[in-house]
Amino acid sequence: MRNYSILKLVAVIIVIAVCAFLAFNEVKNDNIRTGIDIRGGVYAILEPDIDKSSLSAEEVDKGLESAKTILGKRLDARNIFDRSINIDSVNDRIIIEIPWAAGETNFNPQDQLNELGKTALLTFQEVDKSKVDENGNYLPTGKIVLQGTQVKDAYAAAYQEKGEWVVVLDLDESGVASFAEATGRLVGEPIAIFMDDQLISAPVVSQKIEGGNAIITGQANATEAAELAATIRSGALPFRLVATKVDSISPQLGTGAMNVAVKAGIVGFLLVCLFMILVYRLPGLIASIGLFGLAVLTILSVAWTKISITLPGIGGIILAIGMGVDANCVIYERIKEELREGKTLRAAVDQGFHRAFTAVLDSNVTTLITAVVLYALGSGPIKGFAMTLGIGVAISFITAVTATKLMLQGVTGISAFKNKWLYGVK
Amino acid sequence: MKQLNIIKNQNKYFFISLAIIVIGLIFYIVNGVQLDIQFSGGTRIMIETNGEVDSNQAEVLVENALGKSVTAQTQKTNNPGAEGEVIYMLRLDIASEETLTPEERDLVIDIISENFDVKEGGNQEMLSVEPSIGRETLLNGLKAVVIASVLIILYVTWRFSSMHGFAAAITAIIALLHDVAITFALYPVFKYPLGEVFITAALTIIGYSLNNTIVIYDRIRENFKLMRKSTPDEIVNTSISQSLTRTINSTVTTLIAVVTLYISASVSNISSLKEFSLPLIIGLVAGTYSSLFIAGPLWLTWRKRASMKRALKKA
Repeated sequence: MRNYSILKLVAVIIVIAVCAFLAFNEVKNDNIRTGIDIRGGVYAILEPDIDKSSLSAEEVDKGLESAKTILGKRLDARNIFDRSINIDSVNDRIIIEIPWAAGETNFNPQDQLNELGKTALLTFQEVDKSKVDENGNYLPTGKIVLQGTQVKDAYAAAYQEKGEWVVVLDLDESGVASFAEATGRLVGEPIAIFMDDQLISAPVVSQKIEGGNAIITGQANATEAAELAATIRSGALPFRLVATKVDSISPQLGTGAMNVAVKAGIVGFLLVCLFMILVYRLPGLIASIGLFGLAVLTILSVAWTKISITLPGIGGIILAIGMGVDANCVIYERIKEELREGKTLRAAVDQGFHRAFTAVLDSNVTTLITAVVLYALGSGPIKGFAMTLGIGVAISFITAVTATKLMLQGVTGISAFKNKWLYGVK
Repeated sequence: MKQLNIIKNQNKYFFISLAIIVIGLIFYIVNGVQLDIQFSGGTRIMIETNGEVDSNQAEVLVENALGKSVTAQTQKTNNPGAEGEVIYMLRLDIASEETLTPEERDLVIDIISENFDVKEGGNQEMLSVEPSIGRETLLNGLKAVVIASVLIILYVTWRFSSMHGFAAAITAIIALLHDVAITFALYPVFKYPLGEVFITAALTIIGYSLNNTIVIYDRIRENFKLMRKSTPDEIVNTSISQSLTRTINSTVTTLIAVVTLYISASVSNISSLKEFSLPLIIGLVAGTYSSLFIAGPLWLTWRKRASMKRALKKA
């Protein structure tokens, strides 16, 4: 029996040590994702610029789904690969988070996002020479001869003779047919090329084009041509997206906050352990080991589930740790009461855990209810808080109740640790 | 164990809480609460400068250029990259029904660059929030809290049915409102702008205080079974006294952690962490107070009234 008790203690400590080793590796390999508020970067909410009542809920969902894919392609084209694009289906919007790339400090996020949110519907239209704006540019007529969906591929190319940049479009079968028909019919007439409602160029048709290629001239430079080609390639959004919230955070200030939070966390943790050991002696030491377990398991689950830690998320972790400590206080006070009533150590420990259990269970369940509701209904900061709180409370239930119980049972089985003074009772 | 007589003095405890809440309310009526851009909508621009600049001057310049009301502030933060260096940021809050257009933003940055010593390639931050989104964040947060409260009431009513669960649930929620009200008072009293941080802090406080209250209710529930010969007053007093050491110890440990965070944030001038930890400290103290001195006594008062009514009906 005695050896079995020691086994429990040793087993729990080994498990915690292994977890600590794994957690240390995750931290060392930078596998802890931090939110934009800590890392710096851009957080943006994009909302469809449509009358939502004109579309069914399903159409909106489908539209958002395809918008997400297209936004991803557009970001790829801009070489922004480290990003997250999420659909907030409760509020029908898209949330984009782009952390700063190393060395990048200033770019104008709002302009970039507005660029990103354009529908980018490419159309070739017949012109009506009487319909021009004040600068003499053609206005859209709606007589579409070719559109973006008929484009197979688009790429930038240098137009040797004139030394200018163009975008070459590879048309699909239907595109080839309609382009040949239109260019045949409109020889000597201009065809206007629009991106959304903006005129890009309006070349005059010199002859019927049957080759399956269309060319957009009038690009200022290679970059502009490449960007236009990429936008056409990634396709049109089902609706325009407008940025209703843009938050761009400097990485330096965020790092400062994170460093301070981590240091304060370590110092706070050590002080809490010291307090627990001074007040509860041997069980306090065991609670500290349990708390350490809670800390490393939280790090591991955050690393493995790839959750981003935000500042509110740190709030959730603090609360979970606070509740873990509290569970220990509740249990240990019970054990002391049992010891004062003259129970044996072993019985007191068992009874203490048993009688404290309902209190710990009920308080943890109510907190979990809160976390789940906040996660389901909250947005942004509230979600981040709810996520770490939920995980933390679930873990703290294991470490503060199960792990400390096993360790305490183990310790009480060792004859050297049988002195009641060690448990805070004379 | 020292036996406290909390029930005898309960009116004193209620009075202290009410007094603090009333003071907060008076300040709220006089000062109002300033909503942060995050809730009110508008644009915030932060620009790093070499050394401290005159924020009043910046305010006037930008206000004249935009024709919109502007609040300017300077902030100092320790540079995490270089020991002893300080980052100076000029912060401009332009709260309005519409966020700034790109042209207006460029104008603001130009004006500041022309008139002040702006750091070349320094930190710049921008936040722009449409008012609809800001209001929605606030409303969603409140909605989530209300729904969570309803579920907690249901759960507590069920689990604490032996001590008239509904009364226990409602008084627990009243204790939580008390904590949030006291924490909220911080904002009108010290004229802090109310932002998203408050929601996080309030949620943390609610979670912690509820935990405290539940542990005490658990003891009351148990003692009603064990102490059949005692009066309800004695049972509640005993339960709170028995939970006292644990409540104080666990609050002290949590306070140790949060105060450490507050001190570190103050030393390094990290305003986001300071704004988070200060309301937490106030709320944790308020939460412990309400768990010990408000929730249980209030529950007992409710029960006594209810049984008195029943007795009157019978008579």
